[in-house]
Amino acid sequence: MLHRVRVSHLQVSFNGEEVLNDLSFDVSAGEMFAVIGPNGAGKSTLLKSILGLIQPQNGRIVLDDESKTVVGYVPQSRVIDDETPISARDFVSLGQLSGFFPWPSMQERKVLREIMSFTDTDRFARKPIGKLSGGERQRVFLAQALVRHPDLLLLDESTANLDPDAQERMMELVQKAASDWGVSVIFISHDLELVRKYADRVLLMSRGFYKTGTKQEILNDQAMLKNVYQSISSEADGALQQKSPSAGLSLSASPR
Amino acid sequence: MFQYDFMQHAFIAGTLIAVMCGVIGVFIVARSLSFIAHTLSHIGFAGAAFAAYAGIDPLAGLLAFTLLGALGVGQMGVRMFRRDASISVILSLALALGILFLSLGNVQGNYSRTLLFGSVVGIDLQDIWLIVVITIFVILVLGAGYRWLKFDSFDQVGAEAAGLPIRWISIGFLLLMAVAVSATVQIVGALLVFALMTVPAAAARFFTQSIFGMILLSSLIAILGVWFGLTAGYYTNAPVSFFIVAFDAAVYFIGMAFQAIIRRRRGAETA
Ligand SMILES: Nc1ncnc2c1ncn2[C@@H]1O[C@H](COP(=O)(O)OP(=O)(O)OP(=O)(O)O)[C@@H](O)[C@H]1O
Ligand SMILES: [Mg+2]
Repeated sequence: MLHRVRVSHLQVSFNGEEVLNDLSFDVSAGEMFAVIGPNGAGKSTLLKSILGLIQPQNGRIVLDDESKTVVGYVPQSRVIDDETPISARDFVSLGQLSGFFPWPSMQERKVLREIMSFTDTDRFARKPIGKLSGGERQRVFLAQALVRHPDLLLLDESTANLDPDAQERMMELVQKAASDWGVSVIFISHDLELVRKYADRVLLMSRGFYKTGTKQEILNDQAMLKNVYQSISSEADGALQQKSPSAGLSLSASPR
Repeated sequence: MFQYDFMQHAFIAGTLIAVMCGVIGVFIVARSLSFIAHTLSHIGFAGAAFAAYAGIDPLAGLLAFTLLGALGVGQMGVRMFRRDASISVILSLALALGILFLSLGNVQGNYSRTLLFGSVVGIDLQDIWLIVVITIFVILVLGAGYRWLKFDSFDQVGAEAAGLPIRWISIGFLLLMAVAVSATVQIVGALLVFALMTVPAAAARFFTQSIFGMILLSSLIAILGVWFGLTAGYYTNAPVSFFIVAFDAAVYFIGMAFQAIIRRRRGAETA
């Protein structure tokens, strides 16, 4: 099996505070790989390290073919000013970087049309991005990542603000990209039902504890899940518990 | 009015400057750098005043000061400047330095007025060539960096995620802005550079949602403003800068009204 990305002995700390320590796993081509774990476990940090936005203190992240691997990323927090005037179509086309001329080529126009119809964003292609609903924006963000033809797609809670139906549709899109184009997907989610439905393998993580396995291995081990989610909530103070009431054991609720 | 050389020169130089300002303005507005542009033009004023004092070419003084200013801003981080009071401190300091150099250099009042308020009639052929070179340079750089700059200006989070060197883009753009400001100060004066660089671009945003459309429209508004200003100035003897800015501002308010009407109509449709 072809490995798209191989993470070995990754260690990341911020100002001496260890967030990731000795984390290893790999993801194959076309695989849907879910990352789950409580708030503050270091999931976003992991994705940022793979992207190269964070330099790890130790360990290696090897992409299949360093020079040719395109990584698409939909970040967790992406504030768009409501007054941002540009259309959804222009926003998606921002991702098209490789052309030589300032204007898009025929080929690029074609790809743009295809991706927008694939993600069902063409219905509001001319609407200003600032005026779109949260779910519509998420699809535009996904389209912007896809228009670059990524080999590896990193999704940080991309379905968190969507209604249940939109969540399913978004994940179906992503799954289709994985199966049709062989895109490897690493997605973070707090929605364990969604993970059960769409992931091939799962990484369960909290501070200093990592377990990778098939989704059955991870999601059916209630004791382990309970342990991981509770160890954090018992450490945390009351304020944090209030913020994330589901930090105990709620397998389907998605905080925020 | 075209029988006069100085009017021909003014139209050529003014049109070029308008195109440059119209294009770069779209990015200045998108990156919320309006006040930094304003500050750079005051730093440019200090530079030109220094040039007069030191007896060197004004453009050299302008470029030296604005480029250094841009580097300084880039070093300290644009973000801090957007909110902080430090921007007004630097702006006032630049203005004060300019006044100091002007008085040290014992410069004629005429020259200081030109620096602050611009002069479209004093443009000779050599100035035009310089403006041609600078305009072409700025537009070429914007064209070459267009995709990166566009991404970074309208979606910085996405640009960073796509692996673009956003810090270098930011510094590079500030430097380019410094060059553009230096050329523009000579025509419209330090106080109004900011108007020419941001008002047409801000107005264009009301009329179109496409980035390329904004660039076209913004340049068009800037060009029409300059033409209107020169013509009106010629026939009335009132300052050209006044007419330019008045025209751009009028388009801006029309744009605002236009958008309000469109929104109301859309609202009525969906209701
Ligand atoms: N740039 C940074 N500087 C300092 N600390 C950071 C930084 N980024 C993240 N951290 C810390 O690292 C820890 C992990 O953060 P991270 O964002 O990776 O968590 P997460 O697993 O994505 O959580 P969530 O589910 O809330 O999104 C947190 O305790 C956070 O405070
Ligand atoms: Mg996170």
